[in-house]
Amino acid sequence: MIGGLFVYNHKGEVLISRVFRDDIGRNAVDAFRVNVIHARQQVRSPVTNIARTSFFHVKRSNIWLAAVSKQNVNASMVFEFLYKMVDVMQSYFGKISEENIKNNFVLIYELLDEIVDFGYPQNTDTGILKTFITQTGVKSQTSKGQLTKSQSKEETSQITSQVTGQIGWRREGIKYRRNELFLDVLESVNLLMSPQGQVLSAHVAGRIVMKSYLSGMPECKFGINDKVLMESRGKSTMDDATRTTSGKTAIAIDDCQFHQCVKLSKFETEHSISFIPPDGEFELMKYRTTKDISLPFRVIPLVREVGRQKMEVKVVVKSNFKPSLLAQKVEVRIPTPLNTSGVQVICMKGKAKYKSSENAIVWKIKRIGGMKECQLSAEIELLNTNDKKKWTRPPISMNFEVPFAPSGFKVRYLKVFESKLNYSDHDVIKWVRYIGKSGLYETRC
Amino acid sequence: MPAVKGDGMRGLAVFISDIRNCKSKEAEIKRINKELANIRSKFKGDKTLDGYQKKKYVCKLLFIFLLGHDIDFGHMEAVNLLSSNKYTEKQIGYLFISVLVSANSDLMKLVIQSIKNDLASRNPVHICMAMQCIANIGSRDMAEAFTRDIPKILVSGDTIDQVKQSAALCLLRLLRQSPDLINLGEWSSRVIHLLNDQHMGVVTAAVSLIDTLVKRNPDEYKGCVSLAVSRLSRIVTSSYTDLQDYTYYFVPAPWLSVKLLRVLQNYPPPEDAAVRTRLTECLETILNKAQEPPKSKKVQHSNAKNAVLFEAINLIIHMDSDPNLLVRACNQLGQFLQHRETNLRYLALESMCLLATSEFSHEAVKKHQETVITALKTERDVSVRQRAVDLLYAMCDRTNAEEIVAEMLAYLETADYSIREEMVLKVAILAEKYAVDYTWYVDTILNLIRIAGDYVSEEVWYRVIQIVINRDDVQGYAAKTVFEALQAPACHENMVKVGGYILGEFGNLIAGDPRSSPMVQFQLLHSKFHLCAPATRGLLLSTYVKFINLFPEIKPQIQDVLRGHNQLRNSDVELQQRAVEYLQLSTLTTADVLATVLEEMPPFPERESSILAKLKKKKPDSVKENAETKMPRPAAQVNSFPEQPHPIAMPEVHNEPNQDSADLLGLSTPVPTMNATPPKDSAAGLLVDVFDTLGAMTTTTTATNGLTPGADEGFKSGASTVVGAAGDLTEGTEQRYKEFLCKNNGVLFENDLLQIGVKAEFRENLGRIGIFFGNKTSFQFTSFTSEVSLPGELSNQLMVQANPVDPVVDGGAQKQQMLNIECITDFSEPPLLNIQFVYSGAQQRIALKLPVMINKLVESTEMDSTTFFQRWKTLSSPQQECQRIFKAQHPMDSEQTKAKLLGFGMGLLENVDPNPENYVSAGVLHTRNQKVGCLLRLEPNMQAQMYRLTLRTSKESVSKELCELLESQF
Repeated sequence: MIGGLFVYNHKGEVLISRVFRDDIGRNAVDAFRVNVIHARQQVRSPVTNIARTSFFHVKRSNIWLAAVSKQNVNASMVFEFLYKMVDVMQSYFGKISEENIKNNFVLIYELLDEIVDFGYPQNTDTGILKTFITQTGVKSQTSKGQLTKSQSKEETSQITSQVTGQIGWRREGIKYRRNELFLDVLESVNLLMSPQGQVLSAHVAGRIVMKSYLSGMPECKFGINDKVLMESRGKSTMDDATRTTSGKTAIAIDDCQFHQCVKLSKFETEHSISFIPPDGEFELMKYRTTKDISLPFRVIPLVREVGRQKMEVKVVVKSNFKPSLLAQKVEVRIPTPLNTSGVQVICMKGKAKYKSSENAIVWKIKRIGGMKECQLSAEIELLNTNDKKKWTRPPISMNFEVPFAPSGFKVRYLKVFESKLNYSDHDVIKWVRYIGKSGLYETRC
Repeated sequence: MPAVKGDGMRGLAVFISDIRNCKSKEAEIKRINKELANIRSKFKGDKTLDGYQKKKYVCKLLFIFLLGHDIDFGHMEAVNLLSSNKYTEKQIGYLFISVLVSANSDLMKLVIQSIKNDLASRNPVHICMAMQCIANIGSRDMAEAFTRDIPKILVSGDTIDQVKQSAALCLLRLLRQSPDLINLGEWSSRVIHLLNDQHMGVVTAAVSLIDTLVKRNPDEYKGCVSLAVSRLSRIVTSSYTDLQDYTYYFVPAPWLSVKLLRVLQNYPPPEDAAVRTRLTECLETILNKAQEPPKSKKVQHSNAKNAVLFEAINLIIHMDSDPNLLVRACNQLGQFLQHRETNLRYLALESMCLLATSEFSHEAVKKHQETVITALKTERDVSVRQRAVDLLYAMCDRTNAEEIVAEMLAYLETADYSIREEMVLKVAILAEKYAVDYTWYVDTILNLIRIAGDYVSEEVWYRVIQIVINRDDVQGYAAKTVFEALQAPACHENMVKVGGYILGEFGNLIAGDPRSSPMVQFQLLHSKFHLCAPATRGLLLSTYVKFINLFPEIKPQIQDVLRGHNQLRNSDVELQQRAVEYLQLSTLTTADVLATVLEEMPPFPERESSILAKLKKKKPDSVKENAETKMPRPAAQVNSFPEQPHPIAMPEVHNEPNQDSADLLGLSTPVPTMNATPPKDSAAGLLVDVFDTLGAMTTTTTATNGLTPGADEGFKSGASTVVGAAGDLTEGTEQRYKEFLCKNNGVLFENDLLQIGVKAEFRENLGRIGIFFGNKTSFQFTSFTSEVSLPGELSNQLMVQANPVDPVVDGGAQKQQMLNIECITDFSEPPLLNIQFVYSGAQQRIALKLPVMINKLVESTEMDSTTFFQRWKTLSSPQQECQRIFKAQHPMDSEQTKAKLLGFGMGLLENVDPNPENYVSAGVLHTRNQKVGCLLRLEPNMQAQMYRLTLRTSKESVSKELCELLESQF
């Protein structure tokens, strides 16, 4: 259980401090500052144990969020909570910065009271929170008069019943002129490749974000090309045709996790994803795949050390997807030795520059089509040093954005049923978008 | 970094301000990476850099290094800067090198060359910078390279003062780094004369150097005493306006004065009367000045003044010769005891502790008793209170003991936990040492246990019991007191232990009173039984069995308790065994046997208090633990008695009540079991093993007689140091010397100051003896010498080579001397060991007999019965035989006798003599001139308690000598 939560600025000054349990003393605040924020060596581990107290921290821009616990708490739960907390704060006051936190500290304490109880995380859904924690304040209406007061009373009782009810994430009586929904499939590809082009490890972490503007209490059904779901469907219908088609495109999802609105009992028995969505934006599903990933780019490095004073680097980048698609924001980062004294770079496409502050050559290409190849060559001059330490050759890393899902993930259908109101599945306007991004995309050299 | 002007470096200033403006660590690292890349490209570039640029970049690198980043280039550029002629460039170069270049770098050769050039230059600034760099690096390489140059600069006539000053300090640094390399030789007198230098800075620097030199070799620098005294007197008598720059808040040259006073503390009081008077005058002046009203209210003024004063008092204490000064110092400190400043009070208490040990000022210190006691009660700082306790302990004597002990006891209730244990020990020691009336002693210790039971170590309560048992007059009182103390609803376990033991022994003395009838006593003790740890329960069980003997009327109740399941089926083996054995003992044996077995404990032999040893152990700096305290407790031996179901063996059970008392005797002595039958071989063997490891006892000591009385006498007599003329043997060493007849390792001498241990090895006619001198005090012994003399004829009979010993033995340290001995022909008198040293100003002399006896050079030989008697017969002429008939001085026990004979060195031949009672041995005495065969026969006569000892050797004098040596052993 979380014992307390502290927010620090980059200097280590405490902006927010909330202690939920007695076992966390006042000195815990200082312990974290001294041992992590002001540590001589940069602390890279997100979990630090100081004097039998665990500190879990995340950093957003210059702000440190640290959850503290004396107990053997589930670390992933704590981090999930911290990320949710960041989401909640962002949705309330935008970017997380020292200024914003200082301006909204009353609100933050109010939020903390609501989302954590005695160290146990509670409802962190922004949509719901916004119904009863408003930045203007619910009470301001009550001063108008007796009538409004009774109204607001009604309102509050409604909130209460809804929050504590079965469908806590959606209130009743929502009406839209246009029923519309947006579905984003966001994937990040992680790769580690050997210099010879052998994949050492690769996985895709994907999430499906849905934005819904639907009236009433609609029930949605969602279909994807997951092997297990498809096969079970195929079996139940005994349709050979669908089976063969599904065999081609189905993917193997290693594990997945759903928003609380998805009816898990149905998922388990009928292998169908059905839910009543919250209003507005939410993350419907998260998943991970490790098999049959189509890697959008391949990096071929060639490093040659010419004596002790010079080094030659040649990097070839190949794009490996349909020629009709365009990758964007491509950036290749080639680390240089710590005793680099000068760099000459030549590249055919894009712009490349030696960034001494980061000890790397950064090569940027705005746009690149599928099945293309571009090349960079650099000459690095080195300075003799006293240390005989050999350069460790950190991997070349890459950033990009492509308009498809590298895992092969496909949305097969999304059906909306609303029995009480008179609109059908066909009346709903649906948008689907696929974005593949690079996570840690590295090639050793 | 100041704003850029003139010679400043703009780039550097910009860089530093950039770093300071960085919002986060990441930004800082980025900026530094950028700068490093820039510097690298500059250093790499083809363009040669001018001095200014090099300086600037080296400076930046230095700054980055100081921020905590690794710098692995730029060293060469820094070395280049050294050859520049500009001050700033050279300075930055030296700075970089002394901070960044590691001592074993390849560049060091270049650096040393540059330093050499600078030392040879005419410019004093360059010389100073070079010396500063040498001192900063201070490596062995540096010391090797400049051992000649620096002293030359120091004593040369044409060096200017500032350079001399640097040279003195630089030399001091090298001296500390590699003392073996620096040898001033012919320059030592010129170094001493630096004390006369006009320039105060030179003198100050030189005094530090001289102080270190003096510590290494006091004799060579003896000349500095008079110079230091005269310099000191000039400073002390000068008015504060005289020494312009060297007057610090109206105190003339405080640092120099303090250093001079410290140098003087390396020597005994000056012998030259004039110098001595002058020094006394100086010290008086300093004491007088302390009385004057302060010239300034600033804290610096009083600090400087007091620093000089305290150092002067330290010197007075060190000299310990002038009662007048000592008393004045004491009075001065007395004033400080009430000073507002906590630090001053602390220092005053600390110095007074030293003063209290001096005979001259002891009385003067005692005057401040009231103040010290108030300090103990009211001080807020625990370290000051600790000092107050130390001082009270030091100033205590027979006249004020009662009061001081009472105060300490009263304070103990509120004392800090950190000092309680030490206080308890101190109270216990004082109470014992100065007890006039033993009822007071018993009261005090019982109070002590009541107040701070947790901190009362075993030694303390062992000691109470020892004293109560040894003194008939307090036994009744003690029994009454413990009985009353035990009536408190909650009493400490230690109290239960003491109570159990004392009531078990002397409960009968108070049984007459109906309020403390046997039954009441038993019930009182038993009410505490369940709350105690197993060890205490064991002790209480012993008490119960003793009650059976003392009060037969409550036997059934006690047997009931022993029979209870808690006892007979206790999971603790020790308790179970005790319960079973005691129960059997009480049911099976007659009252007579019971009375004999459970007789009152015999008095303990008197010995040095083990508490004192414990206190010494607690203060590691004061005393090197003597061998005894380290020894493992022999408690195991009692528990390891073989289980013997046969009732005959029951008397051994009697040992068990003594399990705790085993330790009472001290730490290493076994139980004196007067009534017990001799233990079985296994047990005896075990005991012998224990003693072998102890090394300090003769192997002949077995369980039957417990301890050789001699060992104990040696113990007691060791307490007095005899200050006498050389040649006179120090008293009380004879007994220990005799013990060495049968052993080779052990303690030869021990008193309050010194412990001398001996480890010897002999082979044929050669011997090697290691003598270990352990300083038991916390102060240095100086002028320590140890010589072996061979009186009379011995010089023709023995050859002794001795290594010299280090003249200084630090407090708590141990020094070793090795002796090589060769025996030329047989001898009768042992060589003498003369030891002299100076301890706190007083010359101490100790003369001892070295344990080298003729029997050490005898090697045993094996032979069978026929050869033995054949040889026995060939050596039958009256000159070859020596026979003595004498009465046994020790119990006639065969195991012991065997052990003694084996220790004697001639071995023991089994199955040779037709009479199995007799002992025979054979050996060869090795000397350089000849080998002498020796045969021995010892015939005991049990009825008459007599022995007949016969020795036959091929040389008359040998027979006689061996016979005499051995006779005293039986």
